[in-house]
Amino acid sequence: MNHSSNEKEPETIEPLRYLSKTEVATVETELLRDYRFGQQQLIEIWGHACAIAITKAFPLSSLSKKQPTLLVVCGPEQNGSIGLVCARHLRMFEYEPTIFYPKRSPQSLHQDFTVQCEKMDIPFLSYLPTEVQLLNDAYNLVIDAILGPETDLKEVKEPYAGMLVTLKQVKIPIVSVDVPSGWDVDEPAKDGINPEVLISLTAPKKCATGFSGKHFLAGRFLPYDIQKKYELNLPEFPGTECVIEL
Amino acid sequence: MLGVRALFGIGLLVTSRGGSVLTHTGACARVASNIYSKDLAHRQACTMANTIKYLGQEEAQHIDEELFNEYSFSVDQLMELAGLSCATAVSKGYPLQSLLKSPPRVLVICGPGNNGGDGLVCARHLKLFGYEPSVLYPKRPNKQLFQNLTTQCEKMDISFLTEMPEADVVDEVYNLVVDAIFGFSFKGAVREPFGDILSQLKKTTVPIASVDIPSGWDVEKGCPDGIQPDMLISLTAPKKAANHFKGRYHFLGGRFVPPALEKKYQLNLPQYPGTDCVYQLN
Repeated sequence: MNHSSNEKEPETIEPLRYLSKTEVATVETELLRDYRFGQQQLIEIWGHACAIAITKAFPLSSLSKKQPTLLVVCGPEQNGSIGLVCARHLRMFEYEPTIFYPKRSPQSLHQDFTVQCEKMDIPFLSYLPTEVQLLNDAYNLVIDAILGPETDLKEVKEPYAGMLVTLKQVKIPIVSVDVPSGWDVDEPAKDGINPEVLISLTAPKKCATGFSGKHFLAGRFLPYDIQKKYELNLPEFPGTECVIEL
Repeated sequence: MLGVRALFGIGLLVTSRGGSVLTHTGACARVASNIYSKDLAHRQACTMANTIKYLGQEEAQHIDEELFNEYSFSVDQLMELAGLSCATAVSKGYPLQSLLKSPPRVLVICGPGNNGGDGLVCARHLKLFGYEPSVLYPKRPNKQLFQNLTTQCEKMDISFLTEMPEADVVDEVYNLVVDAIFGFSFKGAVREPFGDILSQLKKTTVPIASVDIPSGWDVEKGCPDGIQPDMLISLTAPKKAANHFKGRYHFLGGRFVPPALEKKYQLNLPQYPGTDCVYQLN
């Protein structure tokens, strides 16, 4: 799927495209403006697919701790909201998520997602312990939904810089939503966080080229026109699945 | 295990709504498992002792209102999940390779309300699953959400019919019909053009898959000379009309009911398999 071919054979599978930061923004603008998808709708689709990918990477039976606990760390923008929706679906799938959501978006759209989680009785932490051992002991894994491709890395302030330092030290697996937080969208980071699993939403980003961990593509909703226009060459999802392992 | 009072006592903050809950991760995990294990045990007890609840019309309306008002869900979100459940159920009951007619055409008939919206989402997902849906959407609400859903379908090259085909044409062209005309809010007389549409549907021989309520049926009492669908996809929880359903496939969809809401109305929902968004009831 990821091999490129120089010959023009009819049987050749075209390589999957890895998007740049600008391309990601362009595609999303088109989806909202021309295809009239709603933002809440997209976030729901992404969060739901993300949760399904997590159950594939870490089935309930595979978790080592007595309770299927996991920590979902949510940033202030869209990536964080996707994390909230993901946490809600994980709860429906019988996992026990806890959320850390230090800076909440003021947009009512994102506030709704918070209320939905609270009303599912999902606990929210009020601070992230810097004693990494506490995290290692309490949770089976961490879902990194802090920063996404929309983030301007130059603008990243506290508490996120500190949180990333903590995450770099945890011994439990990290699952990153869309892009590993802190990574440049266009290049793999040399000393950023090191997730075990990456769940690319819609299409993978350039920084995921050569990602050595488990890599999933999640979210099955892209109109064929857009797929063709950007030559995404997405793989075929089996049956009615919305997640595929790359 | 630390109880809530003890957590207050040692200075950890526990709020019920709108704020952060706990500060100590270890305590958090213990309280979390306290919350979670109670829910799971309760649900296991319920499904063992009782069967799934069939809702009356008013109850269904109250649950819907609560989902939007108390639980802050948006119509967009729940409609997306509901439509996905419908498309998934259709794929399970009528897999692509089992269809007799090629191409895999499906007629999706959308009514004037939320049931129609569910149909639009369903059509879009059916297209992504490889079916060839066509939509009949004669009465469109003047709300942004429905206009957006329509555009999403049009941009996926889903054709919109201008009028209801005659029953014999439906039988010739389509493999099945998705009935997304009327839902659980339906009351009273059927307004045109839906009367004519329903009489055509009573004459067709291709299977009908109804979204939530077979259209034209009384939401609680059913309808002996109404359409007789082959599949019913109950959303959230089945309604009393489903007691009169005689088709082959009854699916439950709309896997978004918060445990607290389920408990409040004693829905006794079954445990969906894995991450599936549908559960086969029969």
